[in-house]
Amino acid sequence: MKKDILAVFGIVLILAVLINGTHVQSVDEYYLTHIDDITPESKTVTLSIRCDTILRNYDDLDPALRSEEFVPKDGVIMPPTEYVLRDGDTVFDILERAVRHGRIQMEFQGAEENPFGSVYIQGINYLYEFSCGPLSGWMYRVDGEFPSRGCSRFELCDGQNIEWVYTCDLGQDVGAEWIKESGGQGK
Amino acid sequence: MKAFSNVHPAVCMTYFLSVLLVSMFVPHPVLQAEVLFGGALFCALLGGRRASFRDLGFYVPLFLMVAVTNPLFSHNGVTPLFFLNGNPVTLEAILCGISIAVTVIGVLLWCKCYSFIMTSDKFLYLFGKPIPKLSLVLSMALRFIPVYIRQSRRVSRAQKAMGLYSGKSIVDRVKNRMRVLTAMISWSLENAMETSASMKARGYGGKKRTSFFPFRFRTSDGVLLAGTIVLLAVTLAGAAAGVTDFNFYPRVGVIGNSSAAVAVYAAFGALCLLPSALEVKEAVTWNYFVSRI
Repeated sequence: MKKDILAVFGIVLILAVLINGTHVQSVDEYYLTHIDDITPESKTVTLSIRCDTILRNYDDLDPALRSEEFVPKDGVIMPPTEYVLRDGDTVFDILERAVRHGRIQMEFQGAEENPFGSVYIQGINYLYEFSCGPLSGWMYRVDGEFPSRGCSRFELCDGQNIEWVYTCDLGQDVGAEWIKESGGQGK
Repeated sequence: MKAFSNVHPAVCMTYFLSVLLVSMFVPHPVLQAEVLFGGALFCALLGGRRASFRDLGFYVPLFLMVAVTNPLFSHNGVTPLFFLNGNPVTLEAILCGISIAVTVIGVLLWCKCYSFIMTSDKFLYLFGKPIPKLSLVLSMALRFIPVYIRQSRRVSRAQKAMGLYSGKSIVDRVKNRMRVLTAMISWSLENAMETSASMKARGYGGKKRTSFFPFRFRTSDGVLLAGTIVLLAVTLAGAAAGVTDFNFYPRVGVIGNSSAAVAVYAAFGALCLLPSALEVKEAVTWNYFVSRI
């Protein structure tokens, strides 16, 4: 009997550690209802999310996603919006804040799971990588250029313009030319 | 004697393969439910009521485990219920997990029925000629599992008789299991050596040898084979035509109720219930004859 009590105690301890490590939030708690107000002296950046390329490759799109709910008619998931830039904010920080404020679904692979040590955006607004052909996925542009760095490694400065765009052709249909030269990785 | 055991091995094999093929490669809720129901019914008819209830203790936890695991790893879906460490747990992922669990358990049940019906002599009869080596290895490997279970019971009983770990506490019982396990590992290695020595002694790999099998292809086997193939063809045609396309992400799809879809459901349902119907018919005939005596 003594041994059994010890075993039960051990199991309870493991469960307590597990429960302590999980953090449960309700839906309303997760989606931010309030973000930093823009004041004259605050630094800001602009963020937009678009998926125009899907409209041009509609035949490749997963049939389950062929609806205006997931692919808007004009391809704009989020129009250019200004967000307050906090010190040390990366592209990923701004994106996460923006989707949580705008109640847009987003799934990412954490930096610690990724071989490149950076966050990888798997899907935004239910549009995932490979949802529109084998070469499709999300990429980002800062002031018109595709940085060859992961989005959680790119620190932003005041006034920069970030565009998240969906590509159906490994970046070539959205104007990322460096891929041809270096054969490097996106995101 | 079970009715389905008397069916010709080739028909049995075709039947089991067609059910397993559809259940594993056509993910549709209605078909999955039919696989589970048909498998559970046939299993209960073959194994008896008490064994079936005992199995529930294994299948229910397995079902819950598979169903809960999916939403932890899949975060797609339009209906988030709550957020776990910043990741959404969605209704769609839970439903998808349940559907996967139903498939897994359905396939397990059918495999159990398969091992009841397709004994290793039937397997060797079917595949001994075209693939002699592989079929022998397969039948030996499949036979190994029941032999292993039997031997481990024997070891455990022997240990109990010696008075080792006979306490009622759970920790003692777990320790006993571990001890049996180590004994089983050395036994299985020894058993493999003995098997090969015994095979050599009986002249395996020597001259060509003949064998006798008591299987005959009867008219009823032909009818059963034709029925299986027709029902499978209807199901596969429906699947190929996209009637059974179904998706959980990002929004759970609608279960089709067009006449083509209903035809596919009916055909596959009939396929799944075929052996159970055969068993029931046999039992009724048997009781009828008994009552006439």
